[in-house]
Amino acid sequence: MNSGIAALESAYTIFFSVTILVIAVLAALCLLRAIIGPRLADRVVAVNMIGTMIIVVVAVLSVMTEGYLADICLIYAMISFLAVIVLTKIYTGAYKQAKVEKTELSIEELDALLEEQKLFPERDLSEFGVVMPEEKEEGGEA
Amino acid sequence: MPVLEWIRFILGAALIVLGLATFIMEIYGVYRFRYVLNRMHAAAMGDTLGLAAAIIGLIIMNGMNFTSVKLFLVVVFLWCASPVSSHLIAQLEATTNPEAGEYESKTLAALEAEEKEEK
Repeated sequence: MNSGIAALESAYTIFFSVTILVIAVLAALCLLRAIIGPRLADRVVAVNMIGTMIIVVVAVLSVMTEGYLADICLIYAMISFLAVIVLTKIYTGAYKQAKVEKTELSIEELDALLEEQKLFPERDLSEFGVVMPEEKEEGGEA
Repeated sequence: MPVLEWIRFILGAALIVLGLATFIMEIYGVYRFRYVLNRMHAAAMGDTLGLAAAIIGLIIMNGMNFTSVKLFLVVVFLWCASPVSSHLIAQLEATTNPEAGEYESKTLAALEAEEKEEK
């Protein structure tokens, strides 16, 4: 950045300013997605995206102005990752707690029930041209 | 040499513009898809390619510096941590949504036809 050529310096400043502006607009659109999104997971995804974009903004600022902002960038990356983990764990726990209170099951029974609740039910794939191999009953599994 | 400085600027700027283009595509994809688990495919683009391209462009612009090493550590950390967050969000959606399996077999046309029937 310390090139001593005036045109290059102003080019750097203009380019970084435009970058920060574009990412700020994208982050505002992400915030709109967090408001609109019908489910909770939509909002968690949008918060994760905002965090990533702000990491890029802080990195650009660290090159533009002071060098110690790179430490802040790294710490913010860790904190946003931790935030997503905490949000998902808390909501999963709250959902299971509410289900336990509503249906009077224990946590173990609820976990078994959720595993049984089939996410991808078996269905006929012959319309897609898929031929499943026949299951062999003799011999053990490899 | 002034030519090398301009080459450094143009190379770094090209990579940062690639990162910005990836972020724009990510936002467009997140608005276009209909369901969370589909939107996560688009959202993962920014965490990996967008971030890496933008930060490597910044490293090129900054030169061999201690700040560049720290920025590279940001990329390494996020490339390791972002799949974990995606996995946890998908697990959240699969656990709390009893109808999560029904979205996967419908194409976009079938979903639109269904919405028209409801209206």
